[in-house]
Amino acid sequence: MDVMPETAAAAGGVKNVRRPGELPGQKASPAGQGRNPILQIKSLTKEFGNFTAVDKVDLTVYEGEIFALLGSSGCGKSTLLRMLAGFEQPTSGSIMLDGQNINDLPPYKRTINMMFQSYALFPTMTVRQNIAFGLKQEGMPRARIEERVAKMLKLVHMEDYIDRKPFQLSGGQRQRVALARSLAKEPRLLLLDEPMGALDKKLREQMRLELVDIINSVGVTCLMVTHDQEEAMTMADRIAIMDRGEFVQIGGPREIYENPNCRFSAEFIGSVNIFDCKLVSSNATQSLIETGDFERRIELSHDLDLADGMPLSIALRPEKIYISSQIPEEQTNWCEGIVENIAYLGDISTYYVRLSRGRTVAATLPNVDRFKTGLPTWDDHVYLSWDPESCIALTI
Amino acid sequence: MPTGIAGSSALLRRRRLARFAPKRRKKEIKVLVQETTWRDWALVALPYLWMLLFFLMPFLIIFKISMSVTEIAIPPYSPIVTFKEGAMQIILHLENYTSIFTDEDGTYLKSYLKSLQVAFFSTLLCLLIGYPIAWALANCKTATRNVLFMLIIMPSWTSFVVRIYAWMTLLKRDGLINDILMVLGIIDEPLHMLQTDFAVYVGIVYCYLPYMVLPLFTALMKVDYTLIEAAYDLGCRPVRTFFSVLVPQTRSGIMAGSMLVFIPALGEYVIPELLGGKGSILIGRILWQEFFNNRDWPLASAVAIVMLTILAIPIVYFLKSQRKARERV
Repeated sequence: MDVMPETAAAAGGVKNVRRPGELPGQKASPAGQGRNPILQIKSLTKEFGNFTAVDKVDLTVYEGEIFALLGSSGCGKSTLLRMLAGFEQPTSGSIMLDGQNINDLPPYKRTINMMFQSYALFPTMTVRQNIAFGLKQEGMPRARIEERVAKMLKLVHMEDYIDRKPFQLSGGQRQRVALARSLAKEPRLLLLDEPMGALDKKLREQMRLELVDIINSVGVTCLMVTHDQEEAMTMADRIAIMDRGEFVQIGGPREIYENPNCRFSAEFIGSVNIFDCKLVSSNATQSLIETGDFERRIELSHDLDLADGMPLSIALRPEKIYISSQIPEEQTNWCEGIVENIAYLGDISTYYVRLSRGRTVAATLPNVDRFKTGLPTWDDHVYLSWDPESCIALTI
Repeated sequence: MPTGIAGSSALLRRRRLARFAPKRRKKEIKVLVQETTWRDWALVALPYLWMLLFFLMPFLIIFKISMSVTEIAIPPYSPIVTFKEGAMQIILHLENYTSIFTDEDGTYLKSYLKSLQVAFFSTLLCLLIGYPIAWALANCKTATRNVLFMLIIMPSWTSFVVRIYAWMTLLKRDGLINDILMVLGIIDEPLHMLQTDFAVYVGIVYCYLPYMVLPLFTALMKVDYTLIEAAYDLGCRPVRTFFSVLVPQTRSGIMAGSMLVFIPALGEYVIPELLGGKGSILIGRILWQEFFNNRDWPLASAVAIVMLTILAIPIVYFLKSQRKARERV
């Protein structure tokens, strides 16, 4: 029954190795290549009366990856997770686990385990009994159960708490026990429902990487649901952004942040300035775009597959905008305005600059130098500039 | 700063002072104690006074009577404290208790056992019937729930005795149940139901079921249903989930409901009298007979005290388990 080390080597090994030249948030080899699909969802739909919570969703999750469903509340991500766990019956479509349709399998027969948002630890049982609960249902001999419980507690560094009851544990400790319990049965797929939802901010940040380490060391495939983009970006190999029951974009954290495929996805992850524009001209090396927000035209260093005069949006991340007090001669893309507001956030400052036509643009500056002077301040006249590559053209 | 705006502002000021002068703290605690007014004491004393007057005093009186012997007098028992030739005598008779346990026919012991048996099985039946009802109540829509609640509570708007009489007409030889069964051809002869233990159980379960359902319902409303999902998720089948997750969580409701049924069922008099047979003598009837037929108040009091002792065991257990449950939260 000791299959864990092997699976860890086979699956977790692939993803643990960070190759040189690989950027954080982006795999050198695209996800899924040469890897075994564990979970396949085909046009899965769930309707509650007239309301469609999940709308014809297709998804493949590969062995060993951490996949995040990201969306605001009510987008259907939890319903999707509950269908995978077996708590909700799909209206139509299919869920395949290891090539087998599990639509009609009750939750207690699925080799999927879930860590609940509230942890759902049994309050009357000790830590030991909680972790052993699932193993007992399998009819595993007592000695083996003891062994496995000890192993799980070691994994989550909770050996000293074996005889405590859940009410005697802190939030973070409860989470560790919940994780140990959901991993104890060595599931094919681990579901995490808002894993950091019940923790305070400080602990949350600390637990993210530790949770990833534990999941990777076990090698289990993991599907998590979260509304916290930072959490998804830190923990997941791939992210699916969900809105109104549909996937808006699926990709690695870097891909989603740098190349959002639509306005929703650009606005959902990170902050962004979006300009409503019209295409003036486009050729193989350059596209010229006109916007109503400032006088100068925006230049892109690639062509656009659009007819001239068509409307589009240009998305520009605040950290990709330079602020200067003189006209940036070396840049073709720039506009001018007056600093209306400054938000000092410690690590960075966000400048809100009002352009002459009334539009406010956000731009950030990292606070590198403690005593730096000469930074723009309120009511200063500044120039905002950016590289042509920083612009993201969005057609939807 | 003007003094005496409100107690709290004065307190705040003292706290502020305390921060700078820690030595004052002891004095402050003293002030706080002094601020507990007679009103606060009265508030706490009231329930104690109630218990003292209406529970402890009657109990002590009954206990006193149980230690005397019967006399033809008013009241019909011997005084415990007597003065004779300048000496105060306290005579405690224990023969009432010894006669309960050494009675030749074992009448008292038999009826205690019989009462315990009836109360136990009635409680069990109420639990078995009440749990699904409470589950349905806890898991239905609010509108349906209100209707169901009315159906459960409305019967108690009519008199208890009337309802038991209604059961007599249902259960008797030419009653509704026998008639229907005969018409349907399920039986040829009318069933003998009235004046059997069966009828007693029907009556007790019928009357006390709401007292089981309501605490169970309250407990089920508080159940964390994700725990049930968690159990399913970990491979636990529904029946096992019920016993290993739902039952421990609704323990307090089960205990409370069982107490509310068991305790009155143990001393039940009216239902066995009206529905039960002459053969089965429950402790309620013994009490009645001793008090009113034999006018043996001391013996009757002793019977009552013994019954109270029997009841005290499950009550203590119940309170302990309640305290445990509270600690867990």
